[in-house]
Amino acid sequence: MTSKFHYDLIALVIFAIVIAFGVPALMNYDGFELNTFARYLALAIASMALALSWGTAGLLNLGQAATFGMGSYAMAMHLKLRASDGLPDFMGWNNVSELPLIWVPFESLAFTLLAGLLIPAFIGGLTAVFMFRARIAGVFVAIITLAFLVAFQLLVINQQGMTGGQNGLTGLAQLSLPGWTVDPYSTGFYYLVAGCLTVALAIGVYLTHSKFGLILRAIREDADRTRFFGYNVATYQTAIFCLSAALAGWAGMLYTMVLEFASPTYMGVSFSLAIVIWCAVGGRESVIAAALGAIIVNMLEGRLSDVFVEGWHLMLGVIFVLVVMFMPRGIYGVITETAKRLHHPKRRHRKTDLQSSSTKQLETGQES
Amino acid sequence: MQQLQVTDLHVEFGGLRAVDGLTFNVEEGEILCLLGPNGAGKSTTLDLICGKTQPTGGSIRLNGTEISQMLEFHRARLGIGRKFQVPSVYKDLTVAENLSVAISKRPGIWSALSRFALSDVREAGAILERVDLSSKSNELAGNLSHGETQWLEIAMLIAQDSKVILMDEPTAGMTIQETERTAEIFRSLSASHTLIVVEHDMSFVRTVADRIIVMNRGAMLAEGSIEEIESNEDVKTAYLGH
Ligand SMILES: Nc1ncnc2c1ncn2[C@@H]1O[C@H](COP(=O)(O)OP(=O)(O)OP(=O)(O)O)[C@@H](O)[C@H]1O
Ligand SMILES: [Mg+2]
Repeated sequence: MTSKFHYDLIALVIFAIVIAFGVPALMNYDGFELNTFARYLALAIASMALALSWGTAGLLNLGQAATFGMGSYAMAMHLKLRASDGLPDFMGWNNVSELPLIWVPFESLAFTLLAGLLIPAFIGGLTAVFMFRARIAGVFVAIITLAFLVAFQLLVINQQGMTGGQNGLTGLAQLSLPGWTVDPYSTGFYYLVAGCLTVALAIGVYLTHSKFGLILRAIREDADRTRFFGYNVATYQTAIFCLSAALAGWAGMLYTMVLEFASPTYMGVSFSLAIVIWCAVGGRESVIAAALGAIIVNMLEGRLSDVFVEGWHLMLGVIFVLVVMFMPRGIYGVITETAKRLHHPKRRHRKTDLQSSSTKQLETGQES
Repeated sequence: MQQLQVTDLHVEFGGLRAVDGLTFNVEEGEILCLLGPNGAGKSTTLDLICGKTQPTGGSIRLNGTEISQMLEFHRARLGIGRKFQVPSVYKDLTVAENLSVAISKRPGIWSALSRFALSDVREAGAILERVDLSSKSNELAGNLSHGETQWLEIAMLIAQDSKVILMDEPTAGMTIQETERTAEIFRSLSASHTLIVVEHDMSFVRTVADRIIVMNRGAMLAEGSIEEIESNEDVKTAYLGH
């Protein structure tokens, strides 16, 4: 196909090799360190999911943490039931005497895995249908999704008997798959998360290079023009919202397994904004770059937040402002622009010419 | 056969009657040129047909089907294509990608999910050749000159392959040779398409038009062949009066 597609495939393969062989070797297969890195990889899925809706389709979803949280709670409910004889402990403390109906199907692992993908997709799709049928766009998408996130987090915290409220769901069992109890500090678990990220990235790379991804980029640039070619813009936007939400839910499920609890802070505004920052730092145009952004920022956070306990959030904010000001396309933009300059040293020169009058453009066009 | 029937079409913008009781038909395979002084309502008429603007009254029928209340993408699927007065291509996409977006016979998401971004373009290489853009197919559309941008949008409409194509000032900013080439392309398009063309360049109109409608203040002032229009007294006063 196109050379851009080849570059993305090569980048994906390199990325997969590094996280499969490089990282574990660097960490001497240490369970604790691998668990920490698996956490970054799970967050990378949330970041690449945002790159699909924000970078490709231009829809800034500030509610990404809500769908992440749904996946996370779905997995936590299953693992909580596995850890309890009968009623989960916190329900007793909240005077709930019988297992709530919506908890019952989470006894089943298959249901849980499906729910962790499909519930976020459904809720994301519902918000999307409401917004995009009405042709809401731009900053209003950000405002509505943010409002939804805040409302959803409040709902989860208030339903204490069902969700564990402010404390979240703790004291979870380890996931038991047929023939394998998943210990989050094992190498096997690390590979599970790394494998999930690689598959998610492969899906993302395919989507961005499919005609679907192309139409989304067209919609991002000029939604009205795209309608005059017969595309139902709302359907495309809804579809990418659903896909992105499902991927975020997937990330949430893995995240619960890494940390062995689920907390309402996963659905917080600051977590949602953090996803935006990772995505912006890596580069929202590329799913691989967005994943890298999540890993890099979280590694920095891991190193620096120990040293600057109070100042870390301030530093994160400063990083974001600097990135927006000096590298608006993130690390991805810096790399592609450098590569372009190395390939066509004259390109820069022509670009400046193009900004002058249209007659000038014709002249330079003939020259080169 | 009457492909497009416009009957008593009206639209008002805050008291200004931009289109005021316009009635005309277009035959299949015909090239109809819309003329008129600035502000006559030519672009607005095309807006009403393609669904960019909703009429306040009147009817628009495409092959007998009333389309005036439909959303624009439904009209596009039924066979209405539009080139805008201000060239509207995707500047952040390459020439080939622009063309791929325009190839929209299967506009649904399942079909889009099952093919690569440029799968369709290979069949459409001849179209780029026709407008002399094949050497630029990997260039970003934002880097094209004004004339090339016009041609890219024309190429996109050829690729879209709508039954009825609405062209708003397609030769604006083109050189004489480019304009002649465009006239040739339009003549060959009319074999399988119906065209409504808004144009100020009279020599272009003379070459392509099967029939001409002159508009003034939202209404039809005159209709006929080029000779009839050029000798029409009302038309002369409308143009001089401005
Ligand atoms: N969306 C709009 N809102 C308000 N007024 C409008 C709108 N669109 C067009 N008009 C007005 O309607 C009138 C007709 O405009 P239109 O663009 O159709 O003219 P035109 O014949 O295409 O002229 P030109 O040759 O300059 O392109 C003008 O007075 C214009 O200002
Ligand atoms: Mg006009």
